[in-house]
Formats: sequence, structure tokens, C-alpha cells
Amino acid sequence: MSINRRQLIHSLGAVALADLLRGGAPHFAPKAKRVIQIMCPGGVSHLDTFDYKPELEKRSGQPMPGGEKEVSFQGANGNLMKSPWKFVQRGQTGRWMTEMLPHLGAFADDMAFIHSMTSRTNTHGPACVAMNTGFVFEGFPSAGAWASYALGSMNENLPAYVAIPDVRGIPPSGPANWTNGFLPAEHQGISFTALEPIRNLERPGAISAEADLATRGYARVLNDKHAELHFGDSDLRARIASYELAGRMQLSAPEVSNLASETKATHELYGTGDSNPLLAAYARNCLLTRRLVERGVRYVQLYCASRASGVDGLLNWDAHKTLEADYSRHFPILDKPTAGLLADLKGRGLLDDTLVLWTTEFGRMPTHQEGTLGRDHNPDAYSVWMAGAGVKGGATHGRTDDFGRRVVSDVTTVHDYWATVLHLLGLNHERLTWYHNGINRRLTDVHGHVIRGLLG
Amino acid sequence: MFAGGADVLQKRCVSCHNAKARVGGLSLETRAEAGAVLTGRLRARVEAGQMPPGGGLAAGERAEVLAWLDAGAVWPGRLGTGKGLWSLEPVRSKGGSIDGYLREKLSEKGLAMSGESDRRTLIRRITFDLTGLPPAPEEVEAFVKGGDYGALVDRLLASPAYGERWGRHWMDVIRFGESNGYEQNHVRPGAWPVRDYFIRAFNEDLPFRDLIVQSLAGDLVGKDRPEVEVGTGFMVAGPHDTVGNQAEGPKRQQRADDLDDMVNATASAFLGLTVNCAKCHDHKFDPILQSDYYRLAAVFAGVVHGEREVGTASEKAAYRAKAGPLEARVAALNAVLAGLRDRAKPGLAAAEARVRGRMREAVSAAGTVESFGALRARFVRLALPAGAPGGLDEIEVFGVDGKNVALGATVVSTSTRVADGNPDAYSPRFLTDGAFDKRWFAGVGAGPALTVDLGTAVEVARVVWSADRKQGQQGRFAVQAPGRYVLSVSLDGVSWREVATDAGRLPARKEAQERLFVLEALGSGAEFEAAEKELAAVEAELKALPKLRRVYAGTFTKPEPVYLLKGGNVMQRGEEMRPGSLRALPGFELALDAPEGERRMALAKWIASDANPLTPRVMANRLWHYHFGHGLVATPSDFGFNGERPSHPELLDYLAQRLMDNGWRLKPLHREIVMSAAYRQASTWNETAAKADADSRLLWRYPPQRLQAEAIRDNMLAVAGVLDKTVGGPSYQLYKYTVDNVATYFPREEFGPETYRRSVYAQSARSIRTELLSVYDCPDSSLPEPRRVVTTSPLQALALLNNSFVLDMAKALGARMAADADPVGRGFALAFGRGPTASERAGADQLVSQYGMAALARAIFNTNEFVYVH
Repeated sequence: MSINRRQLIHSLGAVALADLLRGGAPHFAPKAKRVIQIMCPGGVSHLDTFDYKPELEKRSGQPMPGGEKEVSFQGANGNLMKSPWKFVQRGQTGRWMTEMLPHLGAFADDMAFIHSMTSRTNTHGPACVAMNTGFVFEGFPSAGAWASYALGSMNENLPAYVAIPDVRGIPPSGPANWTNGFLPAEHQGISFTALEPIRNLERPGAISAEADLATRGYARVLNDKHAELHFGDSDLRARIASYELAGRMQLSAPEVSNLASETKATHELYGTGDSNPLLAAYARNCLLTRRLVERGVRYVQLYCASRASGVDGLLNWDAHKTLEADYSRHFPILDKPTAGLLADLKGRGLLDDTLVLWTTEFGRMPTHQEGTLGRDHNPDAYSVWMAGAGVKGGATHGRTDDFGRRVVSDVTTVHDYWATVLHLLGLNHERLTWYHNGINRRLTDVHGHVIRGLLG
Repeated sequence: MFAGGADVLQKRCVSCHNAKARVGGLSLETRAEAGAVLTGRLRARVEAGQMPPGGGLAAGERAEVLAWLDAGAVWPGRLGTGKGLWSLEPVRSKGGSIDGYLREKLSEKGLAMSGESDRRTLIRRITFDLTGLPPAPEEVEAFVKGGDYGALVDRLLASPAYGERWGRHWMDVIRFGESNGYEQNHVRPGAWPVRDYFIRAFNEDLPFRDLIVQSLAGDLVGKDRPEVEVGTGFMVAGPHDTVGNQAEGPKRQQRADDLDDMVNATASAFLGLTVNCAKCHDHKFDPILQSDYYRLAAVFAGVVHGEREVGTASEKAAYRAKAGPLEARVAALNAVLAGLRDRAKPGLAAAEARVRGRMREAVSAAGTVESFGALRARFVRLALPAGAPGGLDEIEVFGVDGKNVALGATVVSTSTRVADGNPDAYSPRFLTDGAFDKRWFAGVGAGPALTVDLGTAVEVARVVWSADRKQGQQGRFAVQAPGRYVLSVSLDGVSWREVATDAGRLPARKEAQERLFVLEALGSGAEFEAAEKELAAVEAELKALPKLRRVYAGTFTKPEPVYLLKGGNVMQRGEEMRPGSLRALPGFELALDAPEGERRMALAKWIASDANPLTPRVMANRLWHYHFGHGLVATPSDFGFNGERPSHPELLDYLAQRLMDNGWRLKPLHREIVMSAAYRQASTWNETAAKADADSRLLWRYPPQRLQAEAIRDNMLAVAGVLDKTVGGPSYQLYKYTVDNVATYFPREEFGPETYRRSVYAQSARSIRTELLSVYDCPDSSLPEPRRVVTTSPLQALALLNNSFVLDMAKALGARMAADADPVGRGFALAFGRGPTASERAGADQLVSQYGMAALARAIFNTNEFVYVH
């Protein structure tokens, strides 16, 4: 039989209370209990952040050898263009990073880098969705949904999987990035920000607490009688339990998003009071992230930037035309709050069993886009990093050519990436499946190899 | 089953390598057939892990096969005998009855059907099942008193609500959505007629065979009949990437993805096969070759996403009669203008020099300068026309000393574009920040006026503004400067003095400049201008003509060549493929240059044929699936080896045959199913039976079902007495829709009466969560969803407790109850189709007395009884 027992339970609606609260067990001893995935939409330039290319600096302004007249997403490319900023070495390991991320640089030794990521698409929506779900098409479950399905929540009063969109807006392709896809709806990422909490969470203002209690009490009386009459149908009991769970969530969620209880020092660490409102907003979301994982949320997907706007590179990392101006805006927003989050996790010992992922859609071209001072999309090479539970700090996997145009060693796909993340969660990516439309679907499709070199 | 290596072959190899499918030209059914590959090639492939595709055999299996080969490779019998794909066997019905087949299987397990359901339960079940709506209390009472069940079934099948319910099921199966999906995800305003087509097809009991033909070739069989030809919307009902891509590989990939969606939708909906699994290699489980996939793709090679004009012959003729003369006049006027341009040519260079000599230079994105001597002013105002392109990156105001006095000054704009979530994104403050990067943009609507407040009155002599000072964007990305403007200054911000306008400047656009040169060269431009004026008028008239309806039903073009793609890689083209059917069944193959329509017609006829065993089986099973909550085949769109085997194969064939015997009409088959004792039996739990068959797959009881998302929402509307039963027409939106390059869908805080229609008429944008529907497992139309999962979660509870729509419905139901002599009795009758017990009544009375009627209504909506059908 192709459908496993847990799946069958769902398809028949016979959800037991235990299934509402818990997922299954890991396949083997996990290194990480929970995951924070930071996602920077728009396609962060690896050549202006983490993939240092001295040759690009040297030959800036010259044609790219073998790359003349190359046509990429938006059209023709000009000559090689070096980064507007210097690269500096950070940490004991001497990791080369842009000078524009000084706070993150302090964690260079905690980070393991993949410089050989590749994307199957050069378009934002599909690339963002592919990074998060393993598929360029929409409708497939996101990594957080798989983690929720596999492992459940560690706090029955909070969702297992929370998505925190940026104050600038939702990412390209929106909720497809935190969807449950064909997995049961309880595994969807619950959209939750420091500004806007869970939908429908609050009792409507027009209804008093007493009226609410009495109404729910009466519904409960009817439900208990009904369930007694249909004593064999356990899904009726599960639905009653879901109302209790909802009640507990109504108490827990406002507490978790109340940042006022944090100390002044903590707020300063993240930068929640920064004069740049975009930085302050992202900082609040970083702080919220720590509070969520601290309380047992399994997976937080945290966005830094949003979908494309009418102006390339304005709201996200899509620096087609004015790289210097765009990234001058985006770097500070990312830098201090993210570093604050890492520092806070470390200080509280949470980094020992929390995996922090930094991801983006694809990389950018080493050449400037013809007619502009920006870079076009480059799906053939990009960089990501991870830190925390089970990660070998200072490790590097993969390499690009002298200009960062293409990967020359250890080509890595999102499937390899997620195979590695699942491995750290104690899951064998080939065994985590759900039958849908003829196939036992996986986060890693029919691909994926664990990248051993990144494991501590 | 066989033992050892032969068993491994049986399980892992023969599904492709059998006498029928002969994948790779090889059958392993017998030793004789395998002869050519024995033992060298077989051994090599197994040892190298090359077969089966996708990593080869597991180590244990591999060892068994090798040992078996070493031992002489003895075939214990014909492998695969009777083990071909069951669903490809011809339909063989032995007659009989639904209940007969079911009882046979039940008795094998020592089980029996339950007795007939009580009448209250039965009318609630059949009404929700056939219409997705609750029975009215009066209907319940009449039926309980002894109404005829058959007559009830007929009435429900004849109700327009039937098509709304079952059309919605069908739209799950065919991934029908009303937006493009992908990154931009714009709404398709022309998609709803396709939704209405499917609803109508169910309501009119269009033979399913005809529905297939109209879905694939409606334009051919329904020429000049819009109500038929929009069926082709099926092919383009899926997602489509609208982002322009200049790179060759991705461009090809976008088209390949469109074709993939069409192939997948067609094969899964009608044939129940996962043909898309054969995109990169031969299907791993089913007898579907990779080349089969591309033969099907070639069928759709001329189908393109988009809207198409549809109309009756007389509508089209009426339009042509009006448009034809106007189009002819446009052509004539363009010819006149071209002639005048030719006439101007000899003197053009001289004319240009004269014009340039007397006009000021054109505006420039790098900076437009206006100097006007020294004036005292505190305010400087730049007024621009509506729709001024490109925005501005800076405004500078210089005094006589050449110092920019506007640096850091406050700028107020009457219109500024807002990007979602970021009102500061295009702020006018960027205009005086001294940097030429961030830009201010105007919002939509009237032309913006930018007022720079210098703080105090100073001497000003020159104003400079720019859209791209650094000239960072050239060629096709170049930014345009606003061509029209009025510059004024003021001391008090009340009385203004105009100091400059664009008057006398050369126009910025090259075409507009050239027009001036032509007019100059002609001497008198009167003739030219008259022609221009008339052209504008005629074009406006043409544009204003009432257009034919545009429906998102696809357009058709000369088919592009379709190649077998190695490994599914668009850059690795293999052989060019002829359009054709799956080779596991008898079928068709057309020439490489077969005309576009012929391809689709051939496929439609092949699918919608009595000889195709898949089509009637798959559809009969879908009906069963929705009536009982699970199909005889539990995987309704996968009748392959990886799907489930039918629980009652003979019954399935019986139903498939009945479908064909009924001329492929669905209503008679519905009727036969719901008239069966199996359907009418009680859902009462039985511990002993449950031990043998917990999920009632054998139907010892009617399996209770939770209502689908749409039915829950529609149930509230109906019970509250506010359901607007208008059939068809444009969709309403359960979200706030905005577009700024890409579409964004915001949750709505309030829902007006325009949303009080059935949920099937809610616009189904792709990948978008509409909270009440999505949370109850309504699919988002990204992928076909032949079987919805049913989940229970606290988010559902929160939605039903607190969503503003539910509260509105609770108020309406509360008012409806209050209007009755027995409010509590009325509420129970409406919501549950029964009266309250004494204790239920007492509890309800208490709740109402303390917190009002709406509180009782809110409680009712949150009960299990409200959302479950037994």
C-alpha cells in the first residue's frame, strides 16, 4: 500500500487528539530540535556578500572571458563589475566577507558556508518557492511544513510552524512559501509578526469574555452529547479537543508577541529602537523569533525583505540597476538584528539545539547589466550559510569560478540542502514522505545528498 | 508470488518490461523473451544500479537477482501473467447491482450492511451530498412524514445547486483557478465563464464524453457557440508564468511548464494516470514511456495561455460590420500620413535645424534646468501631469550664490505611490536628501504637485530636477523625464507666481520631435494635422465599440515542434515527436506537421471512447468517491501501479459500463448510487464490524463525513437566511486585491452582502489562502486535488469562533430565530434538521437570556453536528 497509516488517518478525517498535538518521532538522534530559517528574497548577490573573488576586483571593467554578450533574465550583460565595497577577513578562520556586515562578521566562526548553491530557475517567484519547498511549482509543502508533519510542536499551545513576513511586504509568490501544500492544513506556516498576530486569534470586541465562555460552553455541551451518540467516531472527539487547543493558543500567542517584557539590553542588542523603521521592524521580528523558538515552536521562517515592487531592488535584494544604493539600504537592516538574534540564542544556550539557516533565491551576475549599475539574476551560483546545532563552524562547501559566475566544485541543489537540514533534525529525507497524485512525495523530490562536510 | 530473483523481477522490472509495454523494446515475462539480454546486459544493468531507474535495486534485491542469474536464471512461470496494469484491461461488466457486489464482499468478511438510516439523517445526507446545502426544515418534516426518496433525489438532481456542488468537485480535479499563479499571480478576469461552463455542464447533464471533447476541442465542435467553446478553458485552467524572461533556457522552460501542466491535467483528470512522471524518464511503475509524454505534449503544442474572443455568429458579424469600415479608415489615414512624411523628406534636415534653433532643449532625466532671475520665495512648487513617468530622484533650488537651499527641505506631494506595507518606499523626502538614488513616485490619479518648503523666504534663481541624475539606467531601462510641468514660487504658500513651464521646449520623445520637423518641412502642416486628428477620432471610436466577450479559454497557433527532452532538460533536445496517444492502449499517431486542431480532436476522441477502459472507470470512481467519502479506488487520479487497487473491481466495471450505457450521462449513475441500500444505510458505529474494517471501506455503514469548506460556509449563509442564490456571473472576492508589479492579496476584515453567494462563485486565486475556506482544506488550485485531505486544527476553531463573517452570520441567524414564535426550536430545525431535547432547550434558553440570540447562533455554528453529515 502506498499510503502510510498516518496519512490514511488524515484522509479519513479520523484525527486522534494525539495527532493534533504531536508529529512522529525522528528517524535517529537529532542534533537540532528546532530551526530558524532566515530568508532574503530578491536574490542576494553572493559577489557582494560572502563569495570573495579577487580576480573580479582585478578585472573589473573588462569583458568576462568566455562570457561576452551573455543574455540573462533581463537581457544583455556588460563587462565585469567588482563589488562597490571591500571584502575583509573575519574571525579566527579568516572568513572573507563584505565590510558592510560587521555585526554578522562577529559570528564568522560559527557559520558554515555553501558557495556552490544552484537554482533550477532564474525567476523570483519560482526560485523563492523552490528554496522553501524543493519545487519550482507552487503547491508543494514548505520545509517547515515537513518539519511540523515529521516532528510536531514542542508546545501544544503554539503552532509548530510560524512564518514571519517582512514589514515591507510578503515575499514573491506569497503564502506559497510557507504553505502546507498537500500536507494536512495544520502543518501550514502560521503568519505571525510582531505587528500582526495570528488571524482570528482574538475574541471580537463586541463579544464579552463571559459571553464567549458561555457560548463555547454551550457548544461543548452539544458536542459532548453528539459525540456520545456517535461514540465510535474519534474525529468528533478530536474536533472538541481542537477547541480546547484554540483556547490555549489564545492565551499563549499574545504572551509570546509581547516584547515589552524583554530587557532594555536585549532590545538594544537587536536594535528594536533603531531610527530606521525598517531595521527596527526586522529587529522586532528577530526578537519575536527567539521568543517563539524558546517556547517550543519547531520551525520559524523569518523574512528580511519582500517581493519585487515596481522598482527593482527597492523592497528586496533584487539589485538590477542600482546595486550600491539598494544594498546600502538592505545591509544594515539585515546585519545588526540578525547578529543580535545569533548572540541572544548563543547567550541563552539555545544555539546548541537550534539550527539557524540563512537562505536566498539565487545569486547575481559578476557582470553589470547592460545599461545599468546593477547585476542580473544568476541561478548558476549562490551562497548560503548555516549556524548552530550540529553545524561545523568555519566549514565551507563548494566553490565558484574566478568570477563567481558558475560553480566549479561540489554543485549543490536545494535538495542536497534540505537533505542536510533534515539530517540535522534526525530525519532521513528519503523516508519522510506523503502520497500525493501517484507519488510518495518528498521535500527532496527524488534527489538530495546530505552534505557531510558541514556537520559538526 | 515467486521466490528469489524471479520475484524481484516480477516486482521491480516487469511493470515496464512486459510483453505489452515493452519499455526499451524489452519484455522479461519469459526466459525466451528476455533471451537477448540474458545474462550479460541484465547483470550489468543490475550491478551498476542503472535499473530500475532512480538508483537501481536495493542491495538485498540486487544480491538475490545476481544469485538467481548465477543459478541459471530459471523462470518459474510467465512473470507478469495477469499482472499487467489492471486499469488498462477492457471494462468487463457482469451486470448485477451495486448492493449485490457490496454484500458479496461484506459476507466474505462475515459483515453485513446496516439498516436503513432514519429519515432526518437521510435527507440531510442526500441534500448536502447532491447540492452542498442543507435541507430546509419544511423539507425535512415533509420527508419524515413519508415523502418519496426517489422523488427527493430527482428534485435535488434537477436543482441548479447540484451543478454548483459537483462543478466545484470537478474544478478541484482540473486545478481550475482564477489567477496566473507564480510570482505575479494576476487575476484572470476572463476565467469565470469557464467555471460557469462546468457548472452548466453538470446541471444540464452534458454527457461526460461531450464534456471531454469540449474541454479539449470546444472551439472546433462549438464554433460560434460561446457556451460550448469556452470548454477549452480546461486546458489553460492551470498556472502560467507571466514574468518575461530574456534568457533562452528559462524561456524554453516556461513553455515546457505550460505544456507539462496541460498534459498532466488531461491525463490525471480523464485517464487517472500520472503521465507527468514520464517527463524525465520512462515511468518507473506504469507502462508509460518517456516518449508517450512528449507525444501528448505535441498534442498541445499550439495551445497558448490567454483570453480569446468568443461570440455567436451574429455577434461576430455585427462587430465586424461596425469595426470593418473604421479599420479601413485607420489604414487610409495612416497611408495619408506616410505620404506626407515622404513629401517632407527632402527638406527635413533643414527643417530640423530651424526648429532646434528656435526651441529650447528637451527635458532630460539627468536634469532639467529652469533659471528665472532672482526672486524671493519660501515655497517652490513643481506641478506635473497625471501619469508622469519614472518619478524623480532630486529637486534642487539654487540661490544667486549657487548654493542649493533645498537640501534637507520638507517636500509635500499631493500624490505619492504606496508600496504594500511600506508607505515610505517612494517618499517625497528623497527629493531633497542630496543623494541621487532613492526616488519619489507619484500615485495614480490627478497630476501631482510637489511643494518644497525652504523654511524661510530666500533668494532663488534656478531650479533643477532629475529622474536619473547619475544616468545609471540606459537603453531599454532608461528613465523618462516628465515632459510637461509648471514651476511656481510663493512667499506665503497662498499666492503663487508662475516662473516657468515646459512651453517652448522640444518634446522629449524622438517621435514627437520628428513630427515637429515634418510639420516644419511641409510648410503648412494643416493637412498632416487634420489627418492626425481624424485618425485619433477614428481610433477612439474603434476602441469604444462594444467588444466581443473575452474568456480565458486559450488561443491556438501553429504548433511549435516538440522534442523529447533528455532527462527533461529543455536544453537537451532529442528527437522531434509526433502527436500521439499512450502506447499501452490502442490509439493514434499523427504526422509531425499535423494541423493544430486535428491534434486535440484526435486526443479528445481517443479519451472519450467506449474502447478506452480508463475514462469511464476513472469518472465512475470519482462519483463514488464524493458520494461515500472515498473511492472504490482510493487514489482517484492514479489508476497506475502506485495507486491503490480497487476494493471492488467488479463493481467498478459495473459502474463504468452503466456510465457508458447511460450515454455517458452522470445523473442516472448518481441516481443509481444514491438509491442503493449501501448509500441509504445508517452510519451507526458497530464495534465488531469496525474491528474487521475500521474505515468502512466495505461499507458496513455509511461513513460519516465532515462537510467540505464550501459547504460549511454555504451552510452558514443558508441557515442564516441570507444566501443569495444567483447562479453564475463574475466572481466576488474574499480578499483585497492589489497590484504593484505583482499581485498581493490581503485578508478582508469585513464581508459585505456581495459575498453572500455560494462559495463556488468566490474568486479562486491560486496559492492564496482565504481564511475560512483554506483552513477547512479547500485546495488553492496550484495542483490538481482529486482527494481533499480532511484535517482538524485549532485554527479552524478560531476561524469559526472569531471571523467577522461568522459573526455576521450569527447575527443574521439570531434575528431569524428571534422572528419565530419558538426561536430555539427554529434554530435547531434550521441548523440540525431536528428539534432540541429538553436539556438542550434549557441550556439554549439560558444562553439566550444572558447573551442574546446571536450567542446561540454562534454556538450552533461551532458544533460538530453543524459541520458533520452522518
